[in-house]
Amino acid sequence: MRFMLLFSRQGKLRLQKWYVPLGDQEKRRLGRELVQTILGRKAKMCSFLEWRDLKVVYKRYASLYFCCAIEEQDNELITLEVIHRYVELLDKYFGSVCELDIIFNFEKAYFILDEFLLGGEAQETSKKSVLKAIEQADQLQENIDFQMRLFPVAGRHSQKASSELVSQSELVSQSELVSQSELCLPVLVLVLNQGLDGVLVPNMASESSGLFQN
Amino acid sequence: MSDVVERTLTALPSLLSSDPSPGRPSSTSKLGTLIRGITELTSKHDEEKLIQRELVSIKEQVSSPNTTMRQMKELMVRAVYCEMLGYEASFSYIHAIKLAQQGTALDKRVGYLAVSLFLNESHELLLLLVNTVLKDLQSTNLIEVCMALTVVGQVFPKDMIPAILPMVEEKLNHPKEIIRRKAVLALYKFYLIAPNQVQHIHSKFRKALCDKDPGVMSASLHIYLEMVTEKPESYKDLVVSFVTILKQVVGGKLPIDFNYHSVPAPWLQIQLLRILSLLGKNDRSTSEMMYEVLDESLRRAEMNHNITYAILFECVKTIYTIHPKAELLEKAAKCIGNFVLSPKINLKYLGLKALTYVVQQDADLALQHQMTIIECLDHSDLIIKRETLELLFRITNGQNVKVIVEKLLEFLRHSKDDYVTIDLGGKVTELAEKYPSEMISSSLWCMNE
Repeated sequence: MRFMLLFSRQGKLRLQKWYVPLGDQEKRRLGRELVQTILGRKAKMCSFLEWRDLKVVYKRYASLYFCCAIEEQDNELITLEVIHRYVELLDKYFGSVCELDIIFNFEKAYFILDEFLLGGEAQETSKKSVLKAIEQADQLQENIDFQMRLFPVAGRHSQKASSELVSQSELVSQSELVSQSELCLPVLVLVLNQGLDGVLVPNMASESSGLFQN
Repeated sequence: MSDVVERTLTALPSLLSSDPSPGRPSSTSKLGTLIRGITELTSKHDEEKLIQRELVSIKEQVSSPNTTMRQMKELMVRAVYCEMLGYEASFSYIHAIKLAQQGTALDKRVGYLAVSLFLNESHELLLLLVNTVLKDLQSTNLIEVCMALTVVGQVFPKDMIPAILPMVEEKLNHPKEIIRRKAVLALYKFYLIAPNQVQHIHSKFRKALCDKDPGVMSASLHIYLEMVTEKPESYKDLVVSFVTILKQVVGGKLPIDFNYHSVPAPWLQIQLLRILSLLGKNDRSTSEMMYEVLDESLRRAEMNHNITYAILFECVKTIYTIHPKAELLEKAAKCIGNFVLSPKINLKYLGLKALTYVVQQDADLALQHQMTIIECLDHSDLIIKRETLELLFRITNGQNVKVIVEKLLEFLRHSKDDYVTIDLGGKVTELAEKYPSEMISSSLWCMNE
């Protein structure tokens, strides 16, 4: 894949990911012109375009256009499915995703995109493992945050220790972390984290949709 | 131990009552305020002013020594947003690299993300990132390793590949499949930008191909597709493995997780089909090994879902590229027929495309569907029209050349796109050279355009 753009019906860019090295000016110009061309197309028209020397595949989901430019030999229909799969991933992560979720949490959307497409190719990973990888990274951050609040002085050290623990337990599920806990401070924090699970962790996802419910 | 528990327990109520994650609202609210500010403005001029002000304040804050990593992360997010809207924020590039270096977890992640969005491969600042990436690749924290590999797979300067290659190779043997997968994709990227550097590790690619995890195996297929495109002869011995893998996938032997709407691992199937088509081209014996599995794929992909159409299309292309076999050709022809006659516009487009591809070998197929083709000529969608004209261009002979050229010229007259005009104009002149006698009057038209 050459690049992927997400833009709204008014032509505002929400996300852009380029897999080919191009200068900034050129990227902007290309993006603008392509956006105009696609916005000018009617609803019932073909999802595939041959624009300049590129093959472009686009699809509209609610108020957002997802557009990908692919290589000559790539299969267009499969790109449509790549787009669909990405939307499914976003939906699963944000829980009933809407455009506002993507606008206000675009870095999360980028993380998910990077997990799914690396270097422009779809990694054929199951939906579950993509989402699991993202959640575990989020989890790590949550653990660190939690510790920083409880023990602001301890700070650095406990961060390192907790990240060590996470890596040692090889990113396993929460219940297994509990079984491995020893008599040391950061672990106690983690154990408590299990208990507060229902309060802290899901807030990450629900906060976004809760705050910006449209 | 007990007083620690006590301390923690007393701290709990205050935590629960207060905002559960004080770090986050402030970051989202600053970005949120910026975004809300922009959406409220109506004119481009106001938006420019607001963004410029924002950029100035970001610039101040990033250069101050007092900003913590947490704040830096939030500033980077805003800078990325401004760049996305089209304003320059190049002062923040160096800070993004610093953030990736010094931050932890989410801060590091945002730093890497900002780097991959801001910089491209030829940027000088990228060299500064190499050290950070090296350090992270050796870290015991798996998430950091993943982050580093992700960045390596996306933007990495060509000249520094030798420095990082041994580390990435080492990751190929890592027990965790996610790391192996990312390492394979990073090597794929290296192969694309500097193929001579990775020549010596082809044996490792073979190992990745036989990896027990399907994710790693499918990642290695990307590399194989590239290598096979360049030199098909050296990989003929792998045909058997590819065919076996495809058989297993189509037969549903992969874990159910890889199913996409009840179709097993479609991307994997398509990659394999492409590789097989390249290997079987003009080679009878190799093609014979593939007939069975192609037949099976065709049969399995009978359901009516977009993704099965994608697989069908790829199958059809493969069947027509490799050494021909009568029954398969027949089935493929039927498929194409279904595409062209389908009311769904996307499938019609693909059907036409397939016909264009196929018409060199099998001209009657186009004749069979000529009514539909003629209908498509007057279709409201320009793309379909253009594709039909492409098809007609291929099937021109002495009798219909005049009509076809007229249609082409008519389209040219109405088209406003330069590329299309040049392209079709070239085709018309080509036809004029081939059939000079019939074309004399039409070529006069041509000159006028």
